Amino acid sequence: MRYYARKLGFYLVALWAALTLNFFIPRMMPGNPVDTLMAKLQQRGGATDPSVRRSYEILLGTDTGEPLVVQYLSYLANMFRGDLGVSVSVFPAEVATVIGDALPWTIVLVGLATALSFLLGVGLGALVGWKRGSWLDSLIPATTVLAAVPYFWLALILVALFATGLSWFPLNGGYDVILTPGWDGEFIASAVYHGILPALTIVISSVGGWLLGMRNMMVSTVSEDYILTAQAKGLRDRRIMTRYAARNAVLPSVAGFAISLGFVVSGSVITEQVFSYPGIGSRLLQAVENNDYALMQGIFLVITVAVLGANLVVDLLYGLIDPRTRAGN
Amino acid sequence: MTNINPPAEAADAAPDTPAGTTGASPVPRRSGSGGWRSLVPRWSPKLGIGLGLVGAIALFGILGPVLTGDPDTIRDISMTPPGGEFWLGTTQTGQDVLALLAHSTCGSLQIGLLVGVLATVLSAVFGVIGGYVGGAVDEGFSLFSNVMLVIPGLPLVIVIAGFVPVEQRGWWTIAVVLAITGWAASARVLRAQTLSLRNRDYVAAAKVAGEKPWRIVSVEILPNLLPLMASQFVFAVILAILSEAGLSFLGLGASGSDTLGTMLYYAQNGFALQREAWWWFGPPGLVIALFGCGLSLINFSIDEIINPKLRTVPAASRRTRGGAGSAERKTRAAAARSVPGRDESGRDAVLTVENLDVVYRGEKPVHAVKDVSLTLGRGEILGLAGESGCGKTTLAYAINRLHRPPAEVTSGSVVFHDRDGSHLDLLALGREELRAFRWSKLSMVFQGAMNALNPVISIRAQLEDVLTTHRPEMPARARRERCAEVLRLVGVDPRRLDSFPHELSGGMRQRVMIAMALLLDPQVMIMDEPTTALDVVVQRGILREILRFRDELGFAVVFITHDLPLLLELSDRIAVMREGEVVEYATADEIHRAPRHPYTRRLLDSFPSLTGERGAFIRTGESSTRERTGTGTGPDTGTGTGTGTGTETIVKEAGSR
Amino acid sequence: MTTLEVRGLTKDFSIRSGLRHSRLRAVDNVSFTLTPGRTVALVGESGSGKSTVARMIARLEKPTAGEITATGPDGGRVADRAYRDHVQMVFQDPFASLNPFHTVEHHLARPLKLHGRARGKAEIAQKVEQLLERVNLTPAADIARRRPHELSGGQRQRVAIARALAPGAQVVIADEPVSMLDVSIRLGVLNLLARLQREDDLAVLYITHDLATARHFSDDILVMYRGRVVERGPADEVILNPQHPYTRILAAAAPDPDARDRARLTEATGIEPAGSSALPGDDPGCAFRDRCPVAFEACTRRPEDFAVGHDHHAKCWLHSGEGRAEQCRARPAAGGTATA
Repeated sequence: MRYYARKLGFYLVALWAALTLNFFIPRMMPGNPVDTLMAKLQQRGGATDPSVRRSYEILLGTDTGEPLVVQYLSYLANMFRGDLGVSVSVFPAEVATVIGDALPWTIVLVGLATALSFLLGVGLGALVGWKRGSWLDSLIPATTVLAAVPYFWLALILVALFATGLSWFPLNGGYDVILTPGWDGEFIASAVYHGILPALTIVISSVGGWLLGMRNMMVSTVSEDYILTAQAKGLRDRRIMTRYAARNAVLPSVAGFAISLGFVVSGSVITEQVFSYPGIGSRLLQAVENNDYALMQGIFLVITVAVLGANLVVDLLYGLIDPRTRAGN
Repeated sequence: MTNINPPAEAADAAPDTPAGTTGASPVPRRSGSGGWRSLVPRWSPKLGIGLGLVGAIALFGILGPVLTGDPDTIRDISMTPPGGEFWLGTTQTGQDVLALLAHSTCGSLQIGLLVGVLATVLSAVFGVIGGYVGGAVDEGFSLFSNVMLVIPGLPLVIVIAGFVPVEQRGWWTIAVVLAITGWAASARVLRAQTLSLRNRDYVAAAKVAGEKPWRIVSVEILPNLLPLMASQFVFAVILAILSEAGLSFLGLGASGSDTLGTMLYYAQNGFALQREAWWWFGPPGLVIALFGCGLSLINFSIDEIINPKLRTVPAASRRTRGGAGSAERKTRAAAARSVPGRDESGRDAVLTVENLDVVYRGEKPVHAVKDVSLTLGRGEILGLAGESGCGKTTLAYAINRLHRPPAEVTSGSVVFHDRDGSHLDLLALGREELRAFRWSKLSMVFQGAMNALNPVISIRAQLEDVLTTHRPEMPARARRERCAEVLRLVGVDPRRLDSFPHELSGGMRQRVMIAMALLLDPQVMIMDEPTTALDVVVQRGILREILRFRDELGFAVVFITHDLPLLLELSDRIAVMREGEVVEYATADEIHRAPRHPYTRRLLDSFPSLTGERGAFIRTGESSTRERTGTGTGPDTGTGTGTGTGTETIVKEAGSR
Repeated sequence: MTTLEVRGLTKDFSIRSGLRHSRLRAVDNVSFTLTPGRTVALVGESGSGKSTVARMIARLEKPTAGEITATGPDGGRVADRAYRDHVQMVFQDPFASLNPFHTVEHHLARPLKLHGRARGKAEIAQKVEQLLERVNLTPAADIARRRPHELSGGQRQRVAIARALAPGAQVVIADEPVSMLDVSIRLGVLNLLARLQREDDLAVLYITHDLATARHFSDDILVMYRGRVVERGPADEVILNPQHPYTRILAAAAPDPDARDRARLTEATGIEPAGSSALPGDDPGCAFRDRCPVAFEACTRRPEDFAVGHDHHAKCWLHSGEGRAEQCRARPAAGGTATA
């Protein structure tokens, strides 16, 4: 129980840190983002009513002389209400709405691709580590190349090969634009079809990391005494590999999920840009290009919360697979 | 989470393991670590390729810009494919791609290096200092780095870059931001390592010597962290180059800088891909990938310093799995046909070992077991005595073919004489036959049950595993009952079945191991230092139980230990081993009353009697037991180096495994 | 004359379990005196607190309560600053107590420099060689250049002993100095310590779980159980004529070829060892009573020291008036519980 309370507490602290960071970054940066935003808003014919300005001020800070503490508290209050301001690049949509539209795309794409690459990497890593000294060892150098390939470059190559060259997959987008988004089979099929290349990019570039980590742990685990015991017990090789070796070797990979997830999310932001995928990564860059500070910050927060959430889930899962954390010491 | 920290008891709890030969392989190992030389990775093809790649790219980045001329020269030749004057072709504005690539590589390397250094320094400050100082500082530092770790780096960098106007986005700004978002993971790793180093005895010894804290950190701890820091640095460099490339590709990089990322940005904006100008678009990504690959390969070699287990197994040893050649098979077959021997007391033999040789293959092969012949009578307790590295554990494991490469049985035979009268040549059994034989006829109890039990599955699962594998026809109910029954036999409450190993005390874990060994009612039990890690009172209780089971269930025991007095009390016959040879093999009584071999006498003399007269040898200053120091035991002497009477050999288990 | 006096030494470790803090008394009111030329053995099983005592004396842990006073040869109290010149320690594991990164020379030269025992390269090199020769590591110049992994376990422990001598210490705490070594070289290392003790008139605290070497190697023995000294006295007295039930059980459990008797193994020794105490951490009574075969009502009170012989004390109510009465009453009934 204590393990879970600790983890939950930690993620609350991390969330608070992210919110605070989000509050201070625009205030520390040069220039006056609120004026920039208001000017843009006017250009687009948006209403310059004071409440909009007020909401930007709370988010980004101004020289109105209001004490920082007061600004901070109203900022936190706004965040909890889910009020992230109004987007200027997709005016008059609220930031929250823009994010709400884009988020499912990213969560499904990155979530599935990460899960796939984790399972694939850990599975292959376990096999390579178990059969050390066999031909499988030669996979290792290949995976290091994959791990070092820039996501976006790989994405571009895949596009050139499979979309432009062979025309197997669409060039970009998240679904066929002639369709209206909805839960019908045709649309889902189109979304899956469009998602294959981006997902492939993420899987190919992140699988190497999981594989190497798992392989190294597997090699260490195989020399443990309990593996020897299992062999002496006359258990079948497959059972020793899965239940005794891999079961223990996977723990650090799971515990270190946070580190790897950061890489994957960062990589996928750029990948989305290459594919013009309607996810949150493209939105972020669009916001940056248009100086849509409110959207930028909203997206950063949402990405952070999503990553924190994923890590929390993994940590809770870790508590389930490692009995030592549950015991309370 | 309970945080109990009486660190002093850690040393207390450590067993008086005289450097056991745990694990089947007291492999002749390369010298552990020590000095600057230890920081130089071992040469391997991987390291060679890695260094080659990194060196070539670095050289290209340094010399290339000088040799290739100005990349910004615009020529009126539009996009030309590689060939002739331009080895890598030109861009749409006629710029030389090779010159661009050279300048960009240089820029990327610079930023990678700078970020690598900054991030490593940051992580060292937070990780090492936090880990060493401990307490509130450590809690704070570690919370901070964990928070930094879970906040996704690149989106944060993008947001920051978005706020900073292009003209103010300098090279340094980008480097600092990348360093700030990239140090946390390695701080965590360094902290963990520092925590473990901090509790090493040599740090305590430096404190006792009166060293100042800064000196302890910089002279005693830091050098031992260097391999880890090098590996973290390499990672930081790869990460920085990749992140910077991503940023620049998005147009958010440093203004006016030339990196591989900006080159890709221009290639993308110049529709290089759509116009199939692979020469413009391909090389920058390839350089990044190859450079990263090179660094990763170097990292493999560094990892092998940090974790010696990762060193690749010598290829020569891989032959061992299937058993030995046909010539030996014949001798074995002959042995198998031979009538089972009887031991002196007229007992039927249950296990016959004849002329067994085990060799550790390697640059310097080590003959760990030399021509050993033993007979184990039904229901007998055979003691196998000797010091670390004498080959006793290797011998025991070879009997069950549990020895691991590079150990190899080169000749001899091991025959098991079953209750039903059949004879099994253990060295000739096929994989599946051997698997079925293990545990059902011959079970084992290992030293240090903490490590012999799988830490993440319950005691019940580990016991039932044996039954589901060897008795698949057994109903689940009967399985459960059998598990509870064996636990009751060894005096452990069957409610403990659902416990995990870490919830049991050392003595209880060893009892569980013995219960597991009893599960299938085996005819032979091999016990490798089963009580060494335990307190004497607990040890006594377990020995008592082993004797009781032997009497009640009638299995034979091979009991391995360095503790000769214990064997004198416990066993029927004793084999004293030294340097792979059995130097004396007699009944316990004979060995006690009239030891024949000088080594046996010396071993006996090493245990002063508790209640007897004070031996003349003690507290008279040094006498016969003087060590040979002139030649010293070299680093490569894992097994069988206990030469001359005065020489000791210690293979520390932690070091060799 | 006295070199080191330990009075009422107590150490609590706090155990954090959730928000509750409880404390574990690892060492409970331990007092003894070390004198030049004599060895005191501190005997106990793992978790008895003997190593914590060592670490407190070596100033690696701060005592919760109690005093450690060192007296110099001139009879004056050793100042805090000079304490480390006076008291040194030899650790259990020679593989862990030497830094793999540094040479033998580094390990010996540092304390020499720190404690002002030698100045200048030549003098230091000479002193290092002298130290190595004193612990029988020759050729000294060659050994000095080596790193720990190039030495055997016994050689390393000799280097560790030399390091303890380097500051000119008068008190040496030896924490299980031979338990990690191969059996055939243990006596050699112990004899080396004995010789050095004689030569330098050292006061030695020998910490061990091995009763046999404790008896032969030391003058006095203190037996510790769960943080308390339960029995103390001259070495032969304590081992051959143990008066505390715990000491009796320990002595009975030690393998002893001279007492080779299969019956000893098969016969019940009287107690079933418990993994951890069933008693609460702050229980005032005798900590051994949950395992003790002869416990009676008085044992719930904090046991006092009873003199059971010349300089021989046991913390057990059996030796009080009511204890003797209890023994008389219990003897006919509990004849089977052999305790020695």
